[in-house]
Amino acid sequence: MRPWEWAFPPRGEHLEVIAAQPATDHGHPPILFVPGLGHGAWCYAEHWLGATAERGYPAYAMSFRGHGGSGGHTRLGRATTRTYLHDLMQVIASLPAPPVLVAHSMAALPARLALARYPAPAGVLLAPVPAGGLRQSLTNQFRRRPAATMRTLVGGTAEFTAVDLFADLDAATAARHLSRLGRESPLAQYELMVPHRIEPIDSPVLVVGAEADRVLAPADLDRAAAELHTSAVMVPGGHDMMLDRSWGEVLTTVLDWIDLHGTAAGAALPGATKLPPVAQALEGRPP
Amino acid sequence: MTAAGRPNPNDGIVDRPGAVAVIGAGPHGISALKSLLAHGIPADGFDRADGVGGNWRFGAPTSRVYESTHLISSKPFTQFPDFPMPDSYPDYPSHRHVLTYFERYAQHFGVGERYLFDTEVVDVRAADSTTGSAFGGPRWDVTIRRSGTGPEVTLRYDAVVLANGHNWFPKTPHYPGLESFAGEVLHSADYKSADQLRGRRVLVVGAGNTGCDIAVESAQNADATYHSTRRAYWYNPKYALGRPSDQVADRLLALRLPIRVRRGLYSLMHKAIVGDYTRYGLRHPDHAFYETHPVVNQNLIYYIGHGDIEPRGDVDTFDADGATFADGSRIDVDLVIFATGYLARFDFLADPAVLDIRDGKPHLGLQMASPTHPNLWLSGLIQPDSGQWAIAHWQAETIAEFLSLAAHDPTRAGAIHRDIVQATGHRFSGGADYKDSTRHYYEIAHQDYLLALQEVLATLRGARDPLPRGTTVGLRV
Ligand SMILES: Cc1cc2nc3c(=O)[nH]c(=O)nc-3n(C[C@H](O)[C@H](O)[C@H](O)COP(=O)(O)OP(=O)(O)OC[C@H]3O[C@@H](n4cnc5c(N)ncnc54)[C@H](O)[C@@H]3O)c2cc1C
Repeated sequence: MRPWEWAFPPRGEHLEVIAAQPATDHGHPPILFVPGLGHGAWCYAEHWLGATAERGYPAYAMSFRGHGGSGGHTRLGRATTRTYLHDLMQVIASLPAPPVLVAHSMAALPARLALARYPAPAGVLLAPVPAGGLRQSLTNQFRRRPAATMRTLVGGTAEFTAVDLFADLDAATAARHLSRLGRESPLAQYELMVPHRIEPIDSPVLVVGAEADRVLAPADLDRAAAELHTSAVMVPGGHDMMLDRSWGEVLTTVLDWIDLHGTAAGAALPGATKLPPVAQALEGRPP
Repeated sequence: MTAAGRPNPNDGIVDRPGAVAVIGAGPHGISALKSLLAHGIPADGFDRADGVGGNWRFGAPTSRVYESTHLISSKPFTQFPDFPMPDSYPDYPSHRHVLTYFERYAQHFGVGERYLFDTEVVDVRAADSTTGSAFGGPRWDVTIRRSGTGPEVTLRYDAVVLANGHNWFPKTPHYPGLESFAGEVLHSADYKSADQLRGRRVLVVGAGNTGCDIAVESAQNADATYHSTRRAYWYNPKYALGRPSDQVADRLLALRLPIRVRRGLYSLMHKAIVGDYTRYGLRHPDHAFYETHPVVNQNLIYYIGHGDIEPRGDVDTFDADGATFADGSRIDVDLVIFATGYLARFDFLADPAVLDIRDGKPHLGLQMASPTHPNLWLSGLIQPDSGQWAIAHWQAETIAEFLSLAAHDPTRAGAIHRDIVQATGHRFSGGADYKDSTRHYYEIAHQDYLLALQEVLATLRGARDPLPRGTTVGLRV
């Protein structure tokens, strides 16, 4: 049961959603892109949204409260995974049909909670943090940059450099992206370090890992994949695979998989494809 | 359909192989249909109204909301857990909000196009066919009549989910002398707006949520308002400690406080907000919290305090011009509104034994499983001490999960079904001892009932998808 959820519903905030629609309707389900720590809808708007719409999918990218163009920046400090789940469910319920969820990094936690309760056609987790809590990634980070890691542990927003996020991007572009990173809620960051309950998911799930990821350690990636009874598909690039130079290749991998697993039933729930609606069966009979 | 008009087997019957018929497009119907589709089971829906929403489709044949109706339970627990109401809705949305919400849900999940609207289900019976259902049990013949008077059509299904609602057929107690009353008598089923009250002298009978709402509205509009209640109830405020009061109650549940402590805290809060009931001319509640269905009304006490509502006890007799009460007092009124509740009806069922209907009440495992057939389920025969649609969602998931298992592993499903049916009669009261058992026949404590569903769901899931040793299904309702 979820009495905390019933007793303490998060307060509503304005949530940014950026959309790109395909030129013609192919009956594909929408795809909702969910950004990770400190990121906003902008990171998907850069390349992926337009390219996804060109492949025939209605594409949406959201920002959690206190991120990107959403409201609630001054109250961000109170946000937790549960708050982000609330924001994610708000956006899902505002879409015309059940979306495929594509979540990056930290957003894997709220996305997995959403997938456990919501019949999404499919889910894709990009460099997902494990529900069991980060381990190797934390020690790596601490070894590389002890001072910055200490600041995070006392509530500062995790600090990223171009080297952390991108494997192959020119300095100017990398700097432009880094300048857009926002603050993160310290509570939500702490939650990355503690184990969460794992709830069963019925939708097919793809886990994607970046070969040159300097944020999420391979061991943590593997644990996340194992929690979902799968193994990660590796793609070129750094942690921010939607912005790195290889973004097109990664997106192709993701959309090819969604073509196979997410659109078997088009935008409809699976049971709806097995038998035409009763109105059709009765056609031709007197009303 | 009469017995003589019994469909001739295979004569013009529309076969819907592998499919489930869902009767009703209220919240329990649309969530059941959606869960079935999500589990890969095709389903058709029927409703006599011209769209989804059931009770919340104001003006529809079985809608029992009035113009001013707002939820009495706040959003977080009332809404479907996989489709929250928008943040732009208030704590207690109006029936208009609620209908829009259900319409968006139906559209989002593609449920609306699976329904035939303006279609009444007139007969449901086990089919006279040699082939059994894909889910175990017989196949079912569902006879419908479209647009009120059109010809009847029979369709054949592999399972049926009844979600026909139990809050619409008026229940009116008998009072001596009522026939001689010269004024107007209404049941709350026919109460739609305050226009019906203006300029009248009104007696409202019944202290459920509807009775209290109408009494308050009458206080604002009628010339005089009397409110007759059989027993003394706790009138809960909509807000306590600055929050919707059901959220405060769920806070106490989240803290896992035992019922005695929760009761104590609740009566403290009541003392602080309402104080001594007898000061208002009310009787002091004769039962503990959680022993009757909660009445949530912040304004009743207020209008009693203003003298705009006069509380009274039980009516003894009616005469041409008014009513006499058990305490001997007499009033003149020209409109009596009975807010005396609703009865469950299953007129379309050819054989009431499939729901073990006795004294008009079905006797079902988990308040949803037919004792005789594993492929006949009822969603919505509950009266929770909370919002309802979170529970509708988990009832729907339980039905869909059960039928999925039944299609693949009938033996295992049969055993689980037997366990569910065996527990028929169990009260999910959360430790309370419900008073006035006819009124509270369908009453459940939401946390208690959900835990029971959670357990069954975990068993069903575990049977479908055996997990590695040592791991558990972390399913949480
Ligand atoms: C005034 C009022 C206030 C309420 N406030 C709240 C609240 O605040 N919170 C809450 O959670 N609940 C509230 N409820 C309870 C309400 O009943 C439920 O929320 C909910 O509507 C029940 O859903 P349901 O799908 O079981 O039934 P309904 O909503 O009644 O839907 C049943 C549907 O079945 C159809 N039907 C029935 N028989 C047939 C047939 N033979 N053929 C075809 N169609 C048929 C009907 O047309 C109807 O559309 C309130 C009820 C009332 C009356």
